[in-house]
Amino acid sequence: MKRIILPLIAMFFVSNLVAQQDSKPSKTQFMIRGYGSAGFQALNDEGEKESSFNNGTFAPIILFKFSDKFMFETEMEFAYENGELETALEYANAMYTVNKYITIRAGKFLLPYGTFMERLHPSWINKLSSVPLGFGHDGITPSSGVGVELRGAFILNGSRFNYALYSTNGPTLNDGNDEPEEAGILHFDNYEDNNKNKSVGGRIGFLPFTDSSTEVGFSFLNAKVGDKDSNYKDVSSNLIAYDFSFVKKVNSLGGIIDIKAQYNTSVTDDANYIEVHEDGDEEEYTFENSSDSFYAQLSFKPTMSASNFLKNIELVGRYSELNTPEGAEWESNVNQTAFGVNYWLSWRSAIKVNYQITDGTGGHGGGRIDNKIFTIQWAFGI
Amino acid sequence: MKTFKIVSIIGFISFATISCSPERATIVQGKSGVQLWSETCMRCHNTPSPADFNDADWSTIEMHMRVRANLTADESKKIFDFLRSAN
Repeated sequence: MKRIILPLIAMFFVSNLVAQQDSKPSKTQFMIRGYGSAGFQALNDEGEKESSFNNGTFAPIILFKFSDKFMFETEMEFAYENGELETALEYANAMYTVNKYITIRAGKFLLPYGTFMERLHPSWINKLSSVPLGFGHDGITPSSGVGVELRGAFILNGSRFNYALYSTNGPTLNDGNDEPEEAGILHFDNYEDNNKNKSVGGRIGFLPFTDSSTEVGFSFLNAKVGDKDSNYKDVSSNLIAYDFSFVKKVNSLGGIIDIKAQYNTSVTDDANYIEVHEDGDEEEYTFENSSDSFYAQLSFKPTMSASNFLKNIELVGRYSELNTPEGAEWESNVNQTAFGVNYWLSWRSAIKVNYQITDGTGGHGGGRIDNKIFTIQWAFGI
Repeated sequence: MKTFKIVSIIGFISFATISCSPERATIVQGKSGVQLWSETCMRCHNTPSPADFNDADWSTIEMHMRVRANLTADESKKIFDFLRSAN
């Protein structure tokens, strides 16, 4: 890990040194940005209580701008979990601006599947310290992909539109051979394709009002997901998401109202999987492989208050739910309600105090899910 | 599900068509950089302070944000011209 961190630190100081020595801006620009967080968590999981200062995370973003049209960007993530330093490559891609309406990206990039993972998940932007159900680990939505993408935005007679169209390696189907309890689940982190088919996906966003306060979006992703040369080679998945955003300073309320919502569906062709019983007997089974998830979030920040303290306070509430297929080993019906009070130290740094209740059935344990989490998180962008 | 998809797409196209007009085009295209800065950034995060970065840094961030937030070229130019002029 030192092999990664030390060069990063060295690059940061060298770039600053060079910048100080030469005040004339260079055509090639290099910049390290990113975000991080640290916090405390108290968990009550069906009566079992535990608490801990939890993992600090740091996600440096490196931007390398070669010209007005050409840029490379990458984001890594470092987190300390279970006594070990975990690392991940969130994205690493080159982008080229073809013209005013088209930019092409290639490499690993955040997928424009809805808006949460692409725009809202960084801890200094996310208004709560967790992600909604359906996203992240064990989620049904993709976060990034390796491939190529065209994207852009345009104004048509006073209405704004934005679009993205991409092709990636696509999701892979867990056929249950190695992990029978996950048979039928889709995995999205694929650096190498498991078949010849490439996924096709995209999103179109529409901002109907002149003040850009409202955006509605439609996303899709379609791919064959089974391993080539396997019984699952013809199994396809079709993912669809609808997203909504409303953000506006409302004078009568004295502050900024922010509403976000996203509905995701995932439908995979029916297939037969093998269940191995305790006595070693094998039994074939199938199920309707459809999942969906939803979240809606409302926040209010009284930015017009006369009090400097109140101006920096933000109240947040979020409801989310996740329903995975009936009959699958990973069947679940879960809902989650989260509340938060944030205090913004600056435009990019907040102390978040959250309380989250998760309730439902299923998951990998197969039983009842009933937990409550209290968290305090300090999140900051750099 | 299929019906829902078709209705959604038709509704989306209809709404988009109805909401387009030459008068609205004049309003949108006439917006200043400071107006766009105050309206656009907060769609995802708090509005940044111009003073937090120098001109060169804002130019780098401009390309990153234009792509990430799917801004139009004109919007992006106006917003970052304002940030560079006010830092």
